[in-house]
Amino acid sequence: MGVTILLSYPVPENKTGPQTAELLIKRIGALGAVQSGQFLVDCETFSSGPTMGGPPRTVHVLHNSEQPAAVFALLESPGPPPKTVPLVADGLFDLLMLKMSSIYASKKQTRMEARGTRFEIADFLVKIGTVTMSSNFKGVLVEVEYRPCFIAGNCWELMREFMQSFLGSVVQNTPPPYFQVHNRLNDVYQPLDTIQQYLDHFASYRKVAGL
Amino acid sequence: MNEMGVTTNSAFLCLFTSASAFGSPIVQMAQQTVNTAIDSLSAALKSNIIPNQEYFLQGSILDSSVEVLLHRLRGLCDNVDTTLETFHDHEMCFSIRGPNNAQPALQLRVRRSLDHNGMPMQLRYIGQPEIGDKSRPTVLRNSIDIGTSNTVVEFLTELGCRKDFEYLAKGYMFRKGRMKITVFKVFKIDETRKMSGGAFESLTALTHSYLVELSVLAPSGQDAIADDMRCFAEQLRPLVQLEKIDYKRLVHGP
Repeated sequence: MGVTILLSYPVPENKTGPQTAELLIKRIGALGAVQSGQFLVDCETFSSGPTMGGPPRTVHVLHNSEQPAAVFALLESPGPPPKTVPLVADGLFDLLMLKMSSIYASKKQTRMEARGTRFEIADFLVKIGTVTMSSNFKGVLVEVEYRPCFIAGNCWELMREFMQSFLGSVVQNTPPPYFQVHNRLNDVYQPLDTIQQYLDHFASYRKVAGL
Repeated sequence: MNEMGVTTNSAFLCLFTSASAFGSPIVQMAQQTVNTAIDSLSAALKSNIIPNQEYFLQGSILDSSVEVLLHRLRGLCDNVDTTLETFHDHEMCFSIRGPNNAQPALQLRVRRSLDHNGMPMQLRYIGQPEIGDKSRPTVLRNSIDIGTSNTVVEFLTELGCRKDFEYLAKGYMFRKGRMKITVFKVFKIDETRKMSGGAFESLTALTHSYLVELSVLAPSGQDAIADDMRCFAEQLRPLVQLEKIDYKRLVHGP
């Protein structure tokens, strides 16, 4: 898996979400991208009940169609100190969460989904998707993966230039906040990093009032 | 080789093909949809291909006779071309209490191989065993096996699980068709002698015998496999009597 940058593309006032996605698809098509299927990243949230004692703990279970046999679970524990414990598991982990439904209940209305098309262009993989929460549109997410490299620091400049060519000034000149934490620019990139970026964006979308 | 060996999950895994394989080729690519993981799992559950039932028999054999048993198993089983497959696993048992304290706690087991540090850890949910009557040759229990990354112990602890006990299992693993036979010794872990990096310096055996387990993981409804298991168990008599053990009779709980 190559380094992946996830960006939220702001929807202009005079356009709808799907129109914005169409516009980006036209731009990437003009660069010579080839459509190659669809993608889906979804996130379901489970919360511990009051009988657990203490502040509630949250488990976010995410799936990425790029890694179809894996389930990613991120547990947010209030601590102290507050921390997030990641887990990568087999597909049957969903069955286990179902078994634990009496202890960790799912909040169906906060289920979020990023769905859209995949494009391949030279060594890049670009995914343009719309984010919805219970069928309500929340935003447009663009995921760009540079497949040959798995150290973010080594290819950030190249990716920034590529992204600015079709996304414009939305792309900042500094790496996204996710990569500025710890030593992430120099660590080996894992699929879990993509999932954590999706979770960060989903969390910020949840805070925004319905569009 | 880890005790869990190679489980035949291939039928289940083939459902998870790449995103572009879904959808009819006639329909334009823009209209292809990707199924959610939950939809795929529901479809797998409906078509009964998830191996979530375990049929098993247990027995034990004294240390003095285990060599004879191993020799007999080498003659009967498939995976003994060169040397015997050994395993050295560390298993931890966790439980988490439900909202209603009257409900039995949910038990989860985490198993890791001490011989192969890079392998995934195994998280296992085991349901209540069904002993059944005389017509049922084996014990049947619900079993969900999940391979996980090595953060699973921290994950379960933060989830609210409590570690009940742990032990080491060291022994041999045999396969015959779908059946897995393990002959292993249980060791108590001496906390004070734990070395850094998860290794254990000294081991105290719990008994002077080896535990023998015969098990098959299959989707529900394949009861014919239980008869094959009973036939195989007959071939190991009188060295070891593999039979259904009713835990409720052994445990004198509150």
